[in-house]
Amino acid sequence: MITGYGHFVQLADSLQWDETSIDLSTDVEAWQKLEDDEYDRILGLLAGFCVGELSVSTHLTSFQDAATVDDSMAGCFKAQARDEARHARFFDRVVEEVVGVPGDNLAERMEALRDRVSPDLLELFEERLPSIAQGVAEDHGKLTAAVGLYHMILEGVVLTAGQHALLQTIDRCSVKLPGLHKGMELVLRDERWHIGFGSRVIQSADVVDDEIEELLTQGVKAASAWGDLISSEDIEKVEHLHRRRLKSVGIKFW
Amino acid sequence: MSGEQTLARPEAKRWLCEMCGFIYDPEEGDPDSGIEPGTAFEDIPDDWMCPICGAEKSDFRALEPGEQIPGM
Repeated sequence: MITGYGHFVQLADSLQWDETSIDLSTDVEAWQKLEDDEYDRILGLLAGFCVGELSVSTHLTSFQDAATVDDSMAGCFKAQARDEARHARFFDRVVEEVVGVPGDNLAERMEALRDRVSPDLLELFEERLPSIAQGVAEDHGKLTAAVGLYHMILEGVVLTAGQHALLQTIDRCSVKLPGLHKGMELVLRDERWHIGFGSRVIQSADVVDDEIEELLTQGVKAASAWGDLISSEDIEKVEHLHRRRLKSVGIKFW
Repeated sequence: MSGEQTLARPEAKRWLCEMCGFIYDPEEGDPDSGIEPGTAFEDIPDDWMCPICGAEKSDFRALEPGEQIPGM
């Protein structure tokens, strides 16, 4: 059982944080001392987050507009959009101030980082998500399927895998990156309620067999979207959690 | 008083994951993780994780009897 939409709105309000208050000064100095492999892995993950957060913060509006039958559900999408915009600002701040990526805004800095993002990740966030968001805007009846992609696959599998990988990499790093670590923990905390909310939407919907199979298959495939930035062990963990999550929301497929 | 009494079964305490809103109901357990129906939250192994968000057992709090949760 998952709590109601009203709970998520209250929870979101209680979890607000300010990305500008995180002290990145230690990170700025430490960044210059990273080993080459640490630099490549962390920057690859950061680049993926910039792509992901920029895309999700842009496309969540159509989800909110489609939640016409339930004001509380619409309120959850609105609260989530506020979180995603903050996450995008946080990662942009890190790549600008800590990494020193040039550009006047996130979109410009993204261009400089694009080569570090896998084609699979770009396809998910720059093609599939915009496409399904457009579909929801044109037909509100597609909201559940869209939540399936957004919350179950992109957040529940792809971003979760990246968040754990980044935290793990920072923990094992030769230097300390306390500001990035703190921000990443706060992002992960926000994402947990987003996933709970999406699970609640799926649980409340009449999901048919072929949609269930698709959710499972897409999730397993998406777990590998980061390429070699994520270990096979971590991919296995998020796949396992994905299956367990789907089953917990009432989807029986094995 | 009769020697035969039917004692009312106390309501099983449910627990809320404060991270994602999942509610652990002892009557349902979590069979996919080897937690049989009827298992009290306190008896779940410490390395058990929330099936929705992966949060730890320590991220749950007990719901008070009759506690109202917004939206439910």
